[in-house]
Amino acid sequence: MTQSHSLAEVYDDKIVRSFVLATLFWGLIAFIVGLLAALQLAYWPFNFNLEWLTYGRIRPLHTNAAIFAFAGNAIFAGIYYSTQRLLKTRMFSDLLSSLHFWGWQILIVSAAVTLLLGFSMGKEYAELEWPLDIFITLIWVIFAVNFFGTLSRRKEKHMYVAIWFYIATIITVAVLHIVNSIEIPVSTFKSYPVWSGIQDALVQWWYGHNAVAFFLTTPFLGLMYYFIPKAADRPVYSYRLSIIHFWALVFLYIWAGPHHLLYTALPDWAQTLGMIFSLMLWAPSWGGMINGLLTLRGAWHKVRTEPILKFLVTAVTFYGMSTFEGPLLSIKSVSALAHYTDWIIAHVHGGTLGWNGFLTFGMIYYLVPRLWNTQLHSKKLAEWHFWIGLLGIIIYYISMWAAGITQGLMWRAVDDKGKLVYPDFIETVTRIVPLYWVRALGGALFIAGFLLMIYNIWKTLRKAPQTRKEEIVPQQVPLKTQTHPETSHRKLEGLVTVFTVLVVLAVLAGSIIEIYPTLSLHNYIDPLKRTQPYSPLEIAGRDVYISEGCYVCHSQMIRKLPEDVLRFGPASTIEESFYDHPFQWGSKRTGPDLARVGGKYPALWHYRHMMNPRDLIPQSIMPNYPWLEQKKVDFYVLRKKFSVLKRLGVPYDENTVANADKIAEEQAKTIAAELKNGGAPAGLEDKEIVALIAYLQALGKKGGTP
Amino acid sequence: MNSNQNPPSPNQNKSLVDEALIEGHEYDGIKELDNPLPAWWLFTFLITIIFSFLYWIHYDLTATGPSTSAELEMELSQLQALHSAATSKEPSVDLQSLVKNSKALEVGQGVFAARCAVCHGAKAEGQIGPNLTDRFWIHGKGTPEDILQVVSKGVLEKGMPSWESMLSATEIQSVSVYVFTLKNSNPPNAKAPDGTEIKE
Repeated sequence: MTQSHSLAEVYDDKIVRSFVLATLFWGLIAFIVGLLAALQLAYWPFNFNLEWLTYGRIRPLHTNAAIFAFAGNAIFAGIYYSTQRLLKTRMFSDLLSSLHFWGWQILIVSAAVTLLLGFSMGKEYAELEWPLDIFITLIWVIFAVNFFGTLSRRKEKHMYVAIWFYIATIITVAVLHIVNSIEIPVSTFKSYPVWSGIQDALVQWWYGHNAVAFFLTTPFLGLMYYFIPKAADRPVYSYRLSIIHFWALVFLYIWAGPHHLLYTALPDWAQTLGMIFSLMLWAPSWGGMINGLLTLRGAWHKVRTEPILKFLVTAVTFYGMSTFEGPLLSIKSVSALAHYTDWIIAHVHGGTLGWNGFLTFGMIYYLVPRLWNTQLHSKKLAEWHFWIGLLGIIIYYISMWAAGITQGLMWRAVDDKGKLVYPDFIETVTRIVPLYWVRALGGALFIAGFLLMIYNIWKTLRKAPQTRKEEIVPQQVPLKTQTHPETSHRKLEGLVTVFTVLVVLAVLAGSIIEIYPTLSLHNYIDPLKRTQPYSPLEIAGRDVYISEGCYVCHSQMIRKLPEDVLRFGPASTIEESFYDHPFQWGSKRTGPDLARVGGKYPALWHYRHMMNPRDLIPQSIMPNYPWLEQKKVDFYVLRKKFSVLKRLGVPYDENTVANADKIAEEQAKTIAAELKNGGAPAGLEDKEIVALIAYLQALGKKGGTP
Repeated sequence: MNSNQNPPSPNQNKSLVDEALIEGHEYDGIKELDNPLPAWWLFTFLITIIFSFLYWIHYDLTATGPSTSAELEMELSQLQALHSAATSKEPSVDLQSLVKNSKALEVGQGVFAARCAVCHGAKAEGQIGPNLTDRFWIHGKGTPEDILQVVSKGVLEKGMPSWESMLSATEIQSVSVYVFTLKNSNPPNAKAPDGTEIKE
């Protein structure tokens, strides 16, 4: 800090600079890991036969890094910058800001390490194990205290719309994360969620969809409301629209989760709610897009010459596309075609690359010269970044649309004899592999553009002055003339606590109405169709399945659709996943559904298939899992696992819990002997492969079917 | 350069700002207009709300619409009807005569290589699945009819899948007679016999 600053309070832009640099760093990592995952689908040897680099572990790393590391740091950068200026005060506590920053970076590193080592909850975008879940909560509380503390010392009486969105983000992410992560530890990096079956499915997708809503949408809308009017130097189009679309979004979004579970075993009423609330979200989402785009009226000529505005405008346009596509995909008959296919991957990347990515890039190009008191090194390079990145997104989007719709149509094609036209799942995979190459090209272009940005910013920082002039916080805010009496919403904008309570009520309404009825699962269970819980060895195998991330490519949910039933057997029932902590229904079928794979093939088939899938299915794109015949099962920990599962309500008797290890060892010997008879190596009885085979052979074989 | 590309005149800008800049709404230099909600937007919002409400009444409140299970049953029975209509028209085939039909054996050999060889071996010598060339049979007595039965329905508890949804009727017949002709072909590396010896 220079001499002049010691007299007047300045904004804390050091923390913003740190978050900006972290965004660039983690963005690069997240994108490169994404490209690796894309290449693995196009050409399986990119799995390198290494357990840490197989798709099942890389994909969770990619999603977590993109959402929480890249988008997360971007959000924090934008929030710390704009909040101080909108409230005309420095952040509440420099210590908390610093703890927030470093805590978040440590979290990201720990997440990356544990995910690659195979520590996973098996729940999408919530894969991190319990110690990290607690750590996330801690850092989020630090962020919240710092943010609300800043609000409490604000000099502006009223909160601007961006601040409303930040409040909704902080509150709702906390609620979502805590409820979805209630779990009981077994060991340092292993726990079981208290939720099971449809309960877990509902809670997980309530969380999953609202991670999109309150981590990738509301904070970015807040950023949009700050950076678009600033960059365009135009007033916001409509205050009224801000009010309506803010409250509509906050109230409606929370209900939409079950649209990820259409035609599954989830009760119909919840599916209906998921679909209709998604439809009703269309207009409120577009409210944000309209307010963003129409704010540019009278400034469109600037878009032609200003890369910052190009990025921001395109981001808002992608937001509009994604929020139209989302409700469309939530319509049951559209979901029937698109679910489990790459159409969903297209949809997600339109939102993340287009909306989150481009908004972040626009914001960073705006911030860097201001934060480092200098000029951007090259506007021309930023233009190139824009066009190359945009081309990348378009190629990505179109290739995945084509792949998803092609595969969806192949899955459902039935001939005049009532039989599937493509009964062989692999046929529908080989058909779209060329499109996986095209997608990888799209991703590579997006990264190429991003590398230009990093170079551009590196050059910018190098010429930045050594001593920075920090922006001074005004001593007092000029009095504003207000001749009209305040409307009631205007009054609300001055009352942080009341406003926050109303946001809490808005998000809790839908959450409680949807989740509460499933808390007592027994209402939905037919006592005559009760399932047998998994044996100890099967649980050990299930944990291997979760750890290897099998759920990212294989569903365990045969939907109530003829094409699913013809291909995989009778539709899955609520009872079948009743004891599943966590549920493993999956959300993508890169490989076939496994809900009824039990007994379909002999143990030896599975053994050879896991060692090299291409021995049995020559065109398979699945990785090899050679380490499964090397790594040993920890039999002893099964006692602990079983006592936890028993506490969670799985009906094991005392004997099974006390002797879980011995029971598992017995079953393992039988399977290992069968494998050996078939020509597999001896000594597999204590290896993970045997446990995994036991689990796979149990799928669909535990009762609970009609 | 046409007029569209010119920056808007100060008048145009002024008219925008004059629309309805709200008094007292200024945050870090950002001002707010108070434009009315676009009519088409409001209309879209209302339509989705009304549609959703009606949809909920139809499928949930009154349950006049079919449930997902009812819908599935309906669709499956339609497919079943198609299937039975198609199979009833198929002429019955005498498998014994197919055994000498070289065309059928050629088709059968292709199906075997593509589908069966991974488990039974390229020469049916047995690998994951049993040897199909010896005189020992686990299911049935090794007649073309018995083999066809196993191929179509599978032996699920032994890991032999059912092929009737994967293969056409002709393919199943062809591969069954092809397997029948492999008897006593004595391939190298044959798997040990399993099942009951059938003496002719």
